Amino acid sequence: MNYFVSENIFTFNSGTEHAQARRVKLFAALSGEAQGVYVTRNYNRFLARDREAVGLTAQQSLNMYDFFQNTQDVPRVEAPLRELKELPLDHYKIDAEGPNSSTLSHAGREIANIAVMPATVGLVNTITYQDRFGSLVARDNYDWRGFKSSVDYFHPTGDLARTVYLNLEGQPVLETVHMNIDGQLRPTMWKLLNYKGKNYRFNYEDQLFLFFLNEVLAAAPGSRLISDRRTLDAAVGQAQGASEKWAYLHDVHEAHGELLPAYAEVLRDHPENFTGVFVATAAQQADLAKKHPAVHAVIAPDTFVEADAEVAGTTAHIPGRIVMIGRLAPEKRPDQALRIFATVKKRVPTATLELRGYASSEEYMQTLKAIVEKEGLGDSVIFSPYATGEELARSYAQAQVILSTSEHEGLGMHLVDALGYGLPIVEYGVTYGGPEVVKQGENGWLVPDGNRKQMTDKLVGLLTDSAEWQKMHDAALNQAAHFTREAAARGWQEALRAAVAVQ
Amino acid sequence: MNFFVNASMQAQKSGIEHAQLKRFELFNANGEASRIVIRDWDPNLHLNTRAAGIPDRQLISMFDYFQDAEQVEDHPIRLDDLDLGVLNTHTQPEPENSRTLIVAATGQLVARVNLLPDMQTVRSTELFDGYNNLYLVEHYDSRGFVSLQQWYTPDNKIGTEIWLTPAGKPVLESFNRDDVRGNRQKSGWRLTDRDRTIWEFDTIEELTKHFLDDLNRDFWSLEKPNVFVLDRSHLAEWGLLYLDQPAYTVMHMHNAQTGNAQDPFDHVLNNNYEFALNALDRYDAVVSATHKQTRDIVRRFKPRAKPFTIPVGVVPNRLLNAERTPVAQRQFGKIVAFARIAHEKHLDDLVRAVAIVHKGFPQVTLDLYGYPDPSDNYAARRAIEEVVKAAHLEDVVTLKGYTNDIDQVENSAMMFGVTSRMEGFNLAVMEAIAHGLIAFSYDVNYGPNEIVEDGVNGNVVPFNDYEAMAAAMLKVLRDPALAQQYSTGAYDSAARYSEQNVWTAWQKLLQDADAQWPVKLAANRYLTQPDEEGVR
Repeated sequence: MNYFVSENIFTFNSGTEHAQARRVKLFAALSGEAQGVYVTRNYNRFLARDREAVGLTAQQSLNMYDFFQNTQDVPRVEAPLRELKELPLDHYKIDAEGPNSSTLSHAGREIANIAVMPATVGLVNTITYQDRFGSLVARDNYDWRGFKSSVDYFHPTGDLARTVYLNLEGQPVLETVHMNIDGQLRPTMWKLLNYKGKNYRFNYEDQLFLFFLNEVLAAAPGSRLISDRRTLDAAVGQAQGASEKWAYLHDVHEAHGELLPAYAEVLRDHPENFTGVFVATAAQQADLAKKHPAVHAVIAPDTFVEADAEVAGTTAHIPGRIVMIGRLAPEKRPDQALRIFATVKKRVPTATLELRGYASSEEYMQTLKAIVEKEGLGDSVIFSPYATGEELARSYAQAQVILSTSEHEGLGMHLVDALGYGLPIVEYGVTYGGPEVVKQGENGWLVPDGNRKQMTDKLVGLLTDSAEWQKMHDAALNQAAHFTREAAARGWQEALRAAVAVQ
Repeated sequence: MNFFVNASMQAQKSGIEHAQLKRFELFNANGEASRIVIRDWDPNLHLNTRAAGIPDRQLISMFDYFQDAEQVEDHPIRLDDLDLGVLNTHTQPEPENSRTLIVAATGQLVARVNLLPDMQTVRSTELFDGYNNLYLVEHYDSRGFVSLQQWYTPDNKIGTEIWLTPAGKPVLESFNRDDVRGNRQKSGWRLTDRDRTIWEFDTIEELTKHFLDDLNRDFWSLEKPNVFVLDRSHLAEWGLLYLDQPAYTVMHMHNAQTGNAQDPFDHVLNNNYEFALNALDRYDAVVSATHKQTRDIVRRFKPRAKPFTIPVGVVPNRLLNAERTPVAQRQFGKIVAFARIAHEKHLDDLVRAVAIVHKGFPQVTLDLYGYPDPSDNYAARRAIEEVVKAAHLEDVVTLKGYTNDIDQVENSAMMFGVTSRMEGFNLAVMEAIAHGLIAFSYDVNYGPNEIVEDGVNGNVVPFNDYEAMAAAMLKVLRDPALAQQYSTGAYDSAARYSEQNVWTAWQKLLQDADAQWPVKLAANRYLTQPDEEGVR
């Protein structure tokens, strides 16, 4: 089996999660190769929903908590709060406070608050019980699939004291305890209960995760592990029983010539624990060979084009539309994008900028909105929420140009995806992926980092010179041919052959 | 079903437990089903109930009931059975503390294990996390499973308590929280029942009511009502008033109803019974052990609850039919008392009476059987010792401690004394007359002044008048014919408490319950079936 190890599949995923999910789908069709499985560490009651959102089946994902709860493959059964057998409605009364929550009362006193599962009508999410003083006492947490998955207990201060994770029979199988470490309330224990007849106590979640990986590997000998998150490199490195262990570097490993701390485990401290690392580009491979000769770096595709042909074929380009896809976070520098756009707009009054992605914080979102106001950009800047599928496809398909102001990217999945829609790319030439994706002057421009003037000129050129745009549009579609699913499959097969040579 | 509701069943029993057990045996002997219902949590309950002759199948403890642990095979947990989930630990026994420490290879304390004196059987474990926090104490049931988990807070107090099934499933939780004044107290209970339905209760009284409702439902019958006999009022004096479905509820008195037991119209009520007596109209029946108490309660409260007099003591047929020991064959002048050495028993007065009698008859001796009450640093025992010392009775008065060998003692003694300040019944004096002991008692409510019949099986003397008691004893000691007459009277008067007589008294109550049942069912719409339109 090929286990791709990560923290989570989120509701809002970054490129790393999308890359991992696509790789799972790629491996499913890779001849002569075992299935890929997306392994996650974090507890996530919405995993079944989020997994489906990235197109994976229950068999293609494996979560540590589900593994111990024995709930990996449980079909969804909707649990409407008014039909829960847990609630004796001949004694207690439910009153809806709104679509998102209801109260449960006894003789007019609220004894619990029932939260509704997000984006559902009346399905139970959590039931939070309070005592006669109004103190939190216990919270029952339901899985997206409709069963009670865990119970939280609280300290008298209202802080979380303990979570107990249940199997489908309601039997505790795992518990976490929150007590003081040096006067600070923190999780201090993960304890497996009666796992194959024995108890196991751990001081850190990653000790439990290592135990989990070893159990998974023991059940599937000869498996390959690929760590996709640097936070998990230590656990993957220590795991026993894998035929190969790799780390996939989705991003640059250095900043200003210095090794980033997150990469120290695999590149500097314990490269001997790994067969090697996978990188997306020859450039990164070359850099690693220079500074980290003990690390075997192998090139393997990070992603492939997954354009929605139907949306592309039925959506018209909006003249003047620039799109930027990705998390609104400082390292992506959307603030620069807004300032660049402000100068573009002076020259192309019909220009619009769509920023599609979730903000790293509400505060940061306010910062960006303040820039929009200050620059007088008004309605010409569109903030769109994180999306997948058709909604995301439409953002690509209706744009004329894709802009990236990111400080660093491993490859930039959004840029690869943009090729599939024939979008010319304008980005700073700071990334390993840039030259692989953008042929300078053919399907876009790599602008020197920080040169906003040039960035503006290139954008204006593309928005105003339709002949130039058409040329670059066609070149983008041609460039996409390097990033097809088939190309990625070939790339992986080569990478895995190279991996054998490494060993 | 007949439910006898009590708090617990300790090894050292008070009169209430003895009364319950006698009733339980009487019902069993007469083929009338009953259950001992225990409300409080006790990890050693089954050791004590089995020793008391209650089989597990006739015992329903509330915690067992919710924990699905009513009938569990014994597999006591040994030290070696513990699995703390930490590798490479070793033990450091501390026999002086009846415990052993479990220590990791690093020297870090993993657990303190509290053991029985055998240093093998686990009573409880105090568990520490990897950062030296005591985070959990687990209490083991004597039958060998974790019954109660006490989860600790960072400030080292109990936060949440969780009761588990023998398989380890949490079913009952209670919470400790600060009220608005900052006082930490039990703030609520949360129950997950067998149908996985979740209930929340503010107090253990609400939880108890829910439990009694469950029992009432489990044993429901249109033929006969469930009968709840409440032997300790605080457990369900409120809950029994609010049962979901009808039942026959019985408030059972085990003590005087007034603060001053000698004054049935004392405005201060015995606090144990104050609420139930004030709410007596809402019970179906009230039981007293003596006619005198029944009469006093009826006079004062005029309750709608039906009054019954049912002795709490039963003299077994074995004893009634035993060969009688003539006074001449008894140790002349041997006086005994069976009572806890406690303030309300006022045994120092009995010693005062004996001091007087001893002057007339140097052969007189007094043996006191009963364990000393430690209250107020054994004040009751010290009061006795002071009188003994002042009257130089060191060779006359003996504190014998607790004994089970009643037959041997009472078949050879001659007289029995009661100088209590108050009584609920006094099983001891009933047993004394059943053994032919001549009984002397203060005119004390309730029990002694009815069990002892003045001039029949001894004498009832004025309350607190130990000189009068001494005079009565002297009169008997001086008159062998009178002594034999009283002893014979004692044997004869014990028949009032024969199994047959007490059972007959209970039957009257059960018959009343049966007689009321159709009316109760009708009033609660249980007897009419809805038609197709749902109309009754």
